[in-house]
Amino acid sequence: MIDFFIGLFLATLIVAIFTNRLYRLLLWYSLNSLTLGILALSIGKSINDNALIITGVVTIILKAIVIPYVLKNFAQKFNLTRQINPKIKIQHTIMLIPAILVFTFYLSAPIVNMIQANTNYVAISISSLFLALLLIMEHKTTAPRIIGFLTIENSLFLLGITATNGMPMLVELGIFFDLLMAIVVINLLFQKEEMSL
Amino acid sequence: MILTLLFLPALIIFGVSFIKKTKSKYILALSSFLILLPTIKLFFLPKPYNIVGDYLVADNLNTYILLVSSIVGIAVALAMLTLNKHVHISPKSYRRFYRFFATFWIGLILSILSNHMGIYWIGLELATLSTVYMIKTNYTSAASKEAWNYMIVGAIAISLVLFGIILIYASVKPILGEEGMNFALLLQNAKNIPSPFLFEIGFALTTIGMFIKMGFFPMNLWLSNIERASYYPVAALFSGILESAVIIGFFRFSQIAMKVNYDHVFVFVFIYTVLTIFIVAFLIYRAKDFMRLFSLSGVEHMALIVIFWVSNAPFAALLHFAAHAFLKPALFLSTGVLESNGKYKIAGALKGFYGKNGKIFYFLVSLFLLAIISLPPSPMFFSELYGFGAMVTTAKDGNHILFMIGAILFLLILLSIIFYRFVAIYQSMKYEGTEVEKKVYFSEILALGIFAVSLVVLLIPNVLEYIKGIV
Repeated sequence: MIDFFIGLFLATLIVAIFTNRLYRLLLWYSLNSLTLGILALSIGKSINDNALIITGVVTIILKAIVIPYVLKNFAQKFNLTRQINPKIKIQHTIMLIPAILVFTFYLSAPIVNMIQANTNYVAISISSLFLALLLIMEHKTTAPRIIGFLTIENSLFLLGITATNGMPMLVELGIFFDLLMAIVVINLLFQKEEMSL
Repeated sequence: MILTLLFLPALIIFGVSFIKKTKSKYILALSSFLILLPTIKLFFLPKPYNIVGDYLVADNLNTYILLVSSIVGIAVALAMLTLNKHVHISPKSYRRFYRFFATFWIGLILSILSNHMGIYWIGLELATLSTVYMIKTNYTSAASKEAWNYMIVGAIAISLVLFGIILIYASVKPILGEEGMNFALLLQNAKNIPSPFLFEIGFALTTIGMFIKMGFFPMNLWLSNIERASYYPVAALFSGILESAVIIGFFRFSQIAMKVNYDHVFVFVFIYTVLTIFIVAFLIYRAKDFMRLFSLSGVEHMALIVIFWVSNAPFAALLHFAAHAFLKPALFLSTGVLESNGKYKIAGALKGFYGKNGKIFYFLVSLFLLAIISLPPSPMFFSELYGFGAMVTTAKDGNHILFMIGAILFLLILLSIIFYRFVAIYQSMKYEGTEVEKKVYFSEILALGIFAVSLVVLLIPNVLEYIKGIV
């Protein structure tokens, strides 16, 4: 079950990299967050960790529903360009993604060997971190870059739950709070110049 | 109680920033002084003092850094009173600027006082996000672009820090469990970490994230571009307070890493920082405006602090840190006046100061400019002397004295390039260009006066003794 969702997490991220429409990218981000939330719930249930289960629920509500919805609203409110053509051609990305995956598995081998639980999951988390960076790099416009930044958060969250069986509850909640703060700042950054009042 | 008092000025500033009356800005500036009460109280309490359980703990190191940052915060809040006299800013943006300044301050207090890796990160992220909007208060396309840049690059840097923290936590969780996030416990158990390699990888990633935030190699220009595009108080806050929060993180993590494997930390950090100073020296040589010049000089000084710290010279690092935290914001705040008539012009910038305020400003800016290049009796002169001395002592113990002397000579050559450029700029400010009358306000003199007095206080023997005893 966990293997399936880890695969799905990676798959949604890879599809997001190929996407050239903003709303579809938001949908893939939402699905990516949903699989992450389900993963947290599954791992939390298997190790009997209530904190991880709560984190999973918050992830699903916040990252899979609220944030994509708010970002879609921003896109409508500020008339953001919905055509988001990646700078890197698709045929090049097709070669780049497997290369990143293989490279990361090779690179993370020494680290992974030191973590007792979920070794493959840790390698996948690190590779998804690199893929999220690729998502930021391949776009010129701001909106997909923001989603890239949010995907980095997802990858780190996955690393947190796979490498350490969940970070302390306080830290997870703090990260969620910072994420909300980021959304407030993003809203203000999109706002047009207000020289009066 | 202490925590409430620490957050009180920020909360007052946040609340008052919603009042639309013009006179409310005086309350904003005055309320910043309240931060001194709890900070001074912390000084006299027995250390370590638990503010909130094991999560926020005051020790000698963070109390010192909090005091330095508080002084900078007060002076910047004072100088912000006349921000609208030098730049075009709408009242709404002005109020919002203060609102985010308050959030920024809360984030910093959390970071500086945290004894927990996770809380440290949360505070730093909060402070980073608040500065993003402060950059945007300057309504130019360059500022807007740089605000986004800061958002993305800052987020990547902070993500690297979190990545490192997760790996460090994974390396210690088998022995410490959920307490593995506690800095003090980590330091106590540094020798027993079951996977030192994993810890070191985590430390390296965290350090790289923090170095990116401070503008180290290879991200030397991103910070100076942002500071150039934003209003001068933002640059002062970056150099005086935000970097304090970043550097205390480096101090905490490196203390543990040095216990795990000192040689690895020393070689990694030393090569990284020397490379940074090498590039920054030439960038300073080519700098054509005050903001970039001071910003790049800030990177150089942060690199020196880091080198001194890993060379077992905490006294030199902490003295240099405080001197830099006072000098750099002072120079950035002066830039507001120096550039207000004829932006970007270095030639003749020190001409045209009349009246009492003007003359004091002229004197103070000259003093700060000469102090930043470590001319005696600047505290930086003494910190560099101690720092380089400690580097030689460390090398003697490690049997690589010749290599270290070579490295110090190389560093001195790079520092002399920076010295030469600053002297040339000072002469250009004083003797070249045309004279344009510039207006200096009392609040600005007061802010610069606070910095000047703080610098002098750093030279008092008792204060030097206190700094020596911190670590």
